[in-house]
Amino acid sequence: MKISQSAKEKTKIKILQSAVDLIIEKGFDNASLREMAKNAGVSNPTIYNYFPSKEKLLYAYIEQKHKEAVASLQEIEDFHTYTLREQLQTLIETELELYLEDREFIIQIADMVFHASGLKMGKLYETNARFIETVDEMLSIAIEAEEIAEPPFREHLPKLFWDYYIMVVAYWVKDDSEMFENTTQFIDHSLGLAEAVLHSDILSKASDLGMFFFKTHMLNSLQKFATKQESFSKIKRKLGEVLHG
Amino acid sequence: MDNALPTGKLSRGKVVGKALLKIGAKKTKRFVTNGDKTQNHEEIADIIFDALGELKGVSVKIAQQVALGMPFLPPEYLEKISKSFNAIPSINKALVRKIIKTELGHYPQDTFESFEMTAFAAASLGQVHLATKDGEQLAVKVQYPGIKKSIESDMSLIHFGMKRFAKGQNVDHIVGEIEARLYEEVDYLLEAKNCDFFRENIDNKNIVIPKVYPALSTEKVLTTSFLEGLNFDSYMANNPTQEEINNYAQLIFDTFFYALYTLKHIHADPNPGNFLFLENGKLGLIDFGCVKRVEDEFLTQYNQLHLNLLEENDDQSIIQQYVTLGMIEEENEEEMLTFYTEIIKPLDTLYKEPLVGDSYDFKANNDFSKRGFEMIFEVQQKQFHSVHKLNEQFLFINRTLLGYYALFEKMGARIETGYVKDLMQKHNKQTQK
Repeated sequence: MKISQSAKEKTKIKILQSAVDLIIEKGFDNASLREMAKNAGVSNPTIYNYFPSKEKLLYAYIEQKHKEAVASLQEIEDFHTYTLREQLQTLIETELELYLEDREFIIQIADMVFHASGLKMGKLYETNARFIETVDEMLSIAIEAEEIAEPPFREHLPKLFWDYYIMVVAYWVKDDSEMFENTTQFIDHSLGLAEAVLHSDILSKASDLGMFFFKTHMLNSLQKFATKQESFSKIKRKLGEVLHG
Repeated sequence: MDNALPTGKLSRGKVVGKALLKIGAKKTKRFVTNGDKTQNHEEIADIIFDALGELKGVSVKIAQQVALGMPFLPPEYLEKISKSFNAIPSINKALVRKIIKTELGHYPQDTFESFEMTAFAAASLGQVHLATKDGEQLAVKVQYPGIKKSIESDMSLIHFGMKRFAKGQNVDHIVGEIEARLYEEVDYLLEAKNCDFFRENIDNKNIVIPKVYPALSTEKVLTTSFLEGLNFDSYMANNPTQEEINNYAQLIFDTFFYALYTLKHIHADPNPGNFLFLENGKLGLIDFGCVKRVEDEFLTQYNQLHLNLLEENDDQSIIQQYVTLGMIEEENEEEMLTFYTEIIKPLDTLYKEPLVGDSYDFKANNDFSKRGFEMIFEVQQKQFHSVHKLNEQFLFINRTLLGYYALFEKMGARIETGYVKDLMQKHNKQTQK
């Protein structure tokens, strides 16, 4: 039997939502996939077919929200008139807006990521492809439109922005201000700073500084600590990649 | 550059602290060198407003309020303040979208038929966007998040700073009043109520007041009908005729006193940005963030005092009325007379000047505000250490009037006083009964 792509998508969203609801109600550890399947009205084999583990379900949730956020951004007719900073800010605010009704669930995940050993931070990175792709696109357009000059570390910036985004979510989770006003201001201020940096040549100065340190100190200390010639050249290659792009 | 609004007690406190340190140093310098006082005021004004500029947002509003609420402030400060009028930080598109969603439940494109993401005007602690819904043009005012919280920390700077410069003149009272007014001004629902009140009660076909859309308004978003007109500067730049100018000034002048004596409310913010010059000599009143209710008993006393002042009654009976109003502290007669002649009289002579004759020509008296500021500066130099509360309703009315007079002078307008004097007489007769 063949199921259409959109029907599949619908089932996935249905399972995700009932999973989120159950986790909010019972906690991550006590919520079973079996019960999630029951609440979503699907069979046990079906849910395992979609999500082999509860962890997979979490990552799917995050990916799903990225997808919805991007779709929401696409609905903004004059999005091309937004500055790079406004576009990035809109992306983050939209994601948070989507998280809002599942806030209790997000708090649990954040707890598992930052405090308990339940989830590996690294695993979260596997979910960020769409987010990074979106940021990368915004960045490319801004450079092409000459809104900003090509920044050093260009290809690393989208990943850096994801790290920043995780930090914002962590802040939001702990935010107890009215309507999460503090998070809104935190985002506004920090992106204002990022904007200022992108518009100045501080980054290229930082790159100069980086090269200086690399040449004078890092190489020396690396040579000192490197026991095997192999690993040393590997690290050096990697650093070279970062600094030269 | 980073336009962010510094918040959080710690960071604001740091900015505040830095400014006060600088002031301390300047003050000391003056005592040591016994240097030129005017120069020193200018420097201090620079420092204070640099610091305020760094704090942004509420501070700008406070600076305006202080300027208007403190007639004793040296002119250097006022000049600085006037420069800060449009310096409210801007809210970018991402933030506007977010605020509309948070406050009204949906993103702008789902709430309105059209919504201009770029603001067309700055407003009190926010900015105004043009939108349409059901074929109506709307003005949507949005407020920067977190403004309310920063009022408190900003006010402590003002309080501390003002105490130092007011040399024993009452400050607490005015600072408290300004703080209360600021809290009111960040509550757009209250503004909506005031706007409705004026719209329903001002019965003048030449005054246009926007209609509030309650379903699209919250504490932080205010939606009203959009009025198409020119702001003060654009209007004046269009070279209006003398007659037009006079008509507008007369309309503003008469409406102020009508609201005072009939509605017992005043629009206590004479910022020219609150007026829109519409077609056919109509005047749009916008921004009801600063409305002050006037108590009956106070108004009766205030009115009698001003009638007496216009009739040139003797100082003794006038002093008694000031005492009743809480503008002069009851002490021995000689001290009261000195306080009156040295501090109050120069000011009330100024306030009543345009009201004495049947008409007053601000074009012929284009040094009115200059004389006013000089006199206030002179009064400010006199050392009076007696600290007592001044009546804040009195100050609010007169500071607003002084603001309007300065505006009329800028316009070069001539006003007739007949209507206003009738209102005063009528009110007097009614309350005498």
